[in-house]
Amino acid sequence: MKDSLTALCKLSGHPDSRCWFVAWNPSGTLLASCGGDRAVRVWGREGDSWVCKSVLQDGHQRTVRKVTWSPCGNYLASASFDATACIWRKKDDDFECVTVLEGHENEVKCVAWAPSGSLLATCSRDKSVWVWEVDEEDEYECVSVVNAHTQDVKHVTWHPTQELLASASYDNTVRLYQEEDDDWVCKATLEGHTSTVWSLAFDASGQRLASCSDDRTVKIWRECLPGNEPGTDTVGSDLSWKCICTLSGFHSRTIYDVAWCRLTGALATACGDDGVRVFREDPTSDPMQPTFFLSVHMPKAHSQDVNCIAWNTKEAGLLASCSDDGEIIIWHYQSEA
Amino acid sequence: MWLVPNSTEVELLFGVTCNFFITMASGCTSEDLFDAIIMADDRFHDEGFQEGFDKGTRQGLIEGRNHGATHGARLSAELSFYYGFAFTWKCIFQDSPEPRTRKKLKALENLLALIQSFPHDDPQYGNLQEDVGKVRAKFRQVCSLVNVPSDFRDYVSKGEEMSF
Repeated sequence: MKDSLTALCKLSGHPDSRCWFVAWNPSGTLLASCGGDRAVRVWGREGDSWVCKSVLQDGHQRTVRKVTWSPCGNYLASASFDATACIWRKKDDDFECVTVLEGHENEVKCVAWAPSGSLLATCSRDKSVWVWEVDEEDEYECVSVVNAHTQDVKHVTWHPTQELLASASYDNTVRLYQEEDDDWVCKATLEGHTSTVWSLAFDASGQRLASCSDDRTVKIWRECLPGNEPGTDTVGSDLSWKCICTLSGFHSRTIYDVAWCRLTGALATACGDDGVRVFREDPTSDPMQPTFFLSVHMPKAHSQDVNCIAWNTKEAGLLASCSDDGEIIIWHYQSEA
Repeated sequence: MWLVPNSTEVELLFGVTCNFFITMASGCTSEDLFDAIIMADDRFHDEGFQEGFDKGTRQGLIEGRNHGATHGARLSAELSFYYGFAFTWKCIFQDSPEPRTRKKLKALENLLALIQSFPHDDPQYGNLQEDVGKVRAKFRQVCSLVNVPSDFRDYVSKGEEMSF
């Protein structure tokens, strides 16, 4: 195996607590992290090392579970166990909290911006997914509350180009939503995982979706356009997605996160066995039944559970991971192909 | 010690005797006669079961009716609360010149429409749970839009699943 993964930098991201999530800004110059210390930190490159540029504090009363950048790169959204989501606006070199989104009954697990930047989705342990609309004056209004899942909703993510929303839940399913008559409705339920689905990632085209689960597998789902595929039961205007590949046998514990590089197509996973893995698609395999092979496995990448993995948006091969041990590691991934 | 038969046992004995004579009177053969005695245990068991079953059915009906009435009333109270809430906010907003209220009004009207189309006179309505879920979700959206905390636990049985 000639592919390699080397650690470039280790950051003590959230000392004495867990680091839950990391996110690159759209231009790939900044990395935001969040953790159990109720803070969001923004990191930037200085020479060969990465340094903390700002600390966003006092926005949340409890753990900050996820953080995400707006498509324009000028806003950050953070989701917290204090039942709120905060919107932070970049001001000079710092960030100020401009809005607090309230409404969820309990822990907000994830927040995600739609590619247009005018819609935002949040999800919570209260089993609901909320869609918010942003106007020019930075006012957020709830467009829809969807109660499709029967359990805690762990993750939400948007399609890279369309207004299509995906969510993953403790009820072992993935659900897809679209707008219909001013309301957001569940258009498809992806069943197959046998335990909690922790995270989701669309590929660059948005035709495929990867999901990772407590059942130690990653599943790849593909959109089946009505009429295109014989033998698929597409009914009415509902979406039809089917599982075209399952990566099993590679992970020995829960897979907490999956990231699909929009530049190279490499698929990285964050696992509860403290390891980081990168998979690549066999280019000769049938696109309808692709095969993925393990390109790199970094056992004990962290000293505890790896919670999140994120590919840099602009620089191919640059990867960030974070862990329960509070650390963030920036990696460089190199492949032969 | 001599056991004094209690009233049930006396009744049972009486029953056996009666049946014995009925069987005799109907002019059956001696085989049937013994059969009636030997099978008495079985027959009483069946009769007892039937009696108990009938009584249980009546009791169950009463209890079920009460249970249904309680849950029905709770659900009605919840939906009526939402209706009153939405109606009041609609009155507050409908003459407002502020353009931002348009969305609020639309959501309020959607909520009112959902409740109005709710088949509250059909207890066997198949999509009951699903539709209640929709109304609750819409209510939470409306609360967020009018900036009111949706914590009305005293009035609504929020999040509480119906138990049977």
